[in-house]
Amino acid sequence: MARTAVYRRDEKRAYWAMVLPAFILYLFVMAFPIVISIILSLSNFNGGKMFGGEHWRITGFQQYGKLVADPQFWLALKNNIYIVLISVFGQLPLGFVFAYLIYRRIVKFGDFWQGVLYMPAIISVIVLGIMWNMIFAPSGLIADVMNKWYANAFSHKLDEILRAAGGLNVTDAFVHRVVDVSDPVALKIFHDPFMELKDIIVAYTPGQLEVFRSDMVNLLSHKWSPEFLSKADVAMIPIMFVTLWCWTGLYLILFLANMQKIDAAIIEAARIDGAGEGQVMAHIVLPGLSGVIVNAAILCISGSLNSFALIWAMTGGGPARVTEVLSIYMYTNAFHGAPHYPLANAIALSIVVFSFILIGVTKLVEKRYGGRE
Amino acid sequence: MKKFLFFALVLLIVPMSLIAQQTTLNFLYYIDATQAGYDEDQAYWQKFKDANPDIDLQMEILFSQAYHQKLSAYIAAGQLPDVMYMWPTTRDSSALLHSQKLVKDLAPLLGKDFLSNFVAPALNVNAQSSKMLAELPQSFTYTTVMYSNKKLLSDLGIPLPKTYAALKAMVPKLRVKNVQTILLPDGDQWPAQSCLFSTVVGRMLGDAWIDKVNTGKVKFTDPAFVAALKFVQTMFNDGVINWSNIQQPYGDGPGLFAAGKAAFIIDGDWRQGAYLTDKASGKALIEPAAQATDFAFLNFPAIPGQINPGVVSAIAGVGLGISSAIPAGSDKEKAAVRLLKWYYGPEFSQMKLETGAFIPTRKGVTSEKLEPFTTMMPQYYSSIAKTCYVLDGVLDPSVFNVLNAGLQSIGLGAKTPAQVAAEMQKAMDAWLKSKM
Repeated sequence: MARTAVYRRDEKRAYWAMVLPAFILYLFVMAFPIVISIILSLSNFNGGKMFGGEHWRITGFQQYGKLVADPQFWLALKNNIYIVLISVFGQLPLGFVFAYLIYRRIVKFGDFWQGVLYMPAIISVIVLGIMWNMIFAPSGLIADVMNKWYANAFSHKLDEILRAAGGLNVTDAFVHRVVDVSDPVALKIFHDPFMELKDIIVAYTPGQLEVFRSDMVNLLSHKWSPEFLSKADVAMIPIMFVTLWCWTGLYLILFLANMQKIDAAIIEAARIDGAGEGQVMAHIVLPGLSGVIVNAAILCISGSLNSFALIWAMTGGGPARVTEVLSIYMYTNAFHGAPHYPLANAIALSIVVFSFILIGVTKLVEKRYGGRE
Repeated sequence: MKKFLFFALVLLIVPMSLIAQQTTLNFLYYIDATQAGYDEDQAYWQKFKDANPDIDLQMEILFSQAYHQKLSAYIAAGQLPDVMYMWPTTRDSSALLHSQKLVKDLAPLLGKDFLSNFVAPALNVNAQSSKMLAELPQSFTYTTVMYSNKKLLSDLGIPLPKTYAALKAMVPKLRVKNVQTILLPDGDQWPAQSCLFSTVVGRMLGDAWIDKVNTGKVKFTDPAFVAALKFVQTMFNDGVINWSNIQQPYGDGPGLFAAGKAAFIIDGDWRQGAYLTDKASGKALIEPAAQATDFAFLNFPAIPGQINPGVVSAIAGVGLGISSAIPAGSDKEKAAVRLLKWYYGPEFSQMKLETGAFIPTRKGVTSEKLEPFTTMMPQYYSSIAKTCYVLDGVLDPSVFNVLNAGLQSIGLGAKTPAQVAAEMQKAMDAWLKSKM
């Protein structure tokens, strides 16, 4: 009896000796900041003595009230939801399908595709963000390609008009036809498009046909500028695309590694019994990976709600704050211009709350529909 | 063996004692590493280090928003650098430096003799938010300069504009040649407010109106201010400024203008340095010969409805400040003062003049090596009879940040001038309430 008590005491000591250092570290690095953050979000602390601030006190849910009343918060939350949706319903299914194709050797050179798809995940997100910013910029690669296409299309229409008129014969009908094929947005700079264009066109001589064609393309053809990417909601499309491109490879690797744990004999048996690849994927592989998928979804959700670096490098939350997500909204409130630390902490905690809600939903879905591994 | 050990110990101790005697100075510095003059600037800092072996100068170099974000983070962490680049008013990261007196008053530190080398307006403490010499303005900054490509315009038979109507009329003539009228890269949000709208407000409303709005006597929602925002909207609608400028990073401007992509670029006077010859590579965005003959610095044309014709937004320039956390009379404080005296000294000022960084407020700084753009700038200054406020120097950050985003929204057609004015007034009301 005494020996057992001594044994238990020694066991307890050994347990605490091993757990205590990590537990203390966790308290100071994780738990303490979270508690402080909660307290700050419920107070009016804004730097204290160092900033000559008023004596701090608990003010209750005042900051949360400000948050809910701020339209920018709801826009940032909506943008974050878009990121979560593309991550959970884009990265995971795509990652799973790619992993399956490579695992079942349906595509050749599996190792090559694995490397190519995983590569974006190992490059610095800042570099990727700047690169894609340049691609989507108003004077970037996409705009360049699209503008050349539009210029070509307009040029053909102009050639038809010139052919029908027998050259550069500037009549009212000619000018009307030019106006009709012109981009309406391009015509907005004119008060009276017909008269002002006529004044411009009559200045060209028949010998200046090439110059006329080039000038009219510059002036009147449709310009693909990503103006639509400056509108709320639509502005998130490039970011969602890049998010999908960036991280799908990570989940591919995760799913591929777990697929390789599935007993190949089961799949062979199913194939012998006449099951197609789709049936193998849906009834053997997918259920076998349900736990991994749930864990991946949790990673997706927490990563999406934390996303900052890529969006900051791509758009800085702009233009005009339309691509701001919660982390950037928190950052600008904490450090931009006039800092507001209690509000920033309230935003941080709202991110945590949303994470818990979404993870809770994921767990419920798993309970209901998850397979047994 | 003993002798060897003895000498090895001496060789080890001497440098260590030197290191021990060194005063570490953390210096947060602001400069565009891609701009001409960067290498010269760094060479001069190396000279400072060589001339002051007892100072261990730890320089951290950043530019534009990255600088403000880092300094804001340092302030929040309570780890203010010993010496930092700062603005005279509440622009971005400098807001707290002034409001909470996080920097020292330089007047007693630099002394009357040293300060007598500077023009009187530079020593005007009323131009600084903290009403003390928090930083010594290295220059006066005119934030609105219309850099003009005279040659491009004359090749197209277009005269330099004196009115907004003339500017608007040249839009189709420039567009046929795939040239923008005015370039104003506003991807970083602040240029549209600082380099254009401040002048528009100065012309259409005047400084007295801004003083009144800061005391709640008038409102941003008043028709006069909304009219100023409407003018900016008009510039976008007329095609004078292409909406794509809103997504253009600020750093892209000089390259695009020098490449002839726009007839004009609106920027501050500090930007003339971007076009000068980089001594390291021998290359310039605009060759010196072309600077003199093909380009001009213009005042912004007359605005419809203006009441103060010709005024241009200007502000006391930026400079270096010393952290108030440094103990008075300490070695670190003395080292910081030596650094400032080097920075504001004749040699460094001359280098800055020659590289087009700024026209120094230090008296008697001249050079025979100046490129045309640098000599043209004082002529531009002298053509301006009166200056007006730069809005981010007189409005609270919580208000002008709303304006900055609002100008982008107007340009994108996402918000109306009235909506932006209402948002600004809401921010102003909150700020006025917080001050009661």
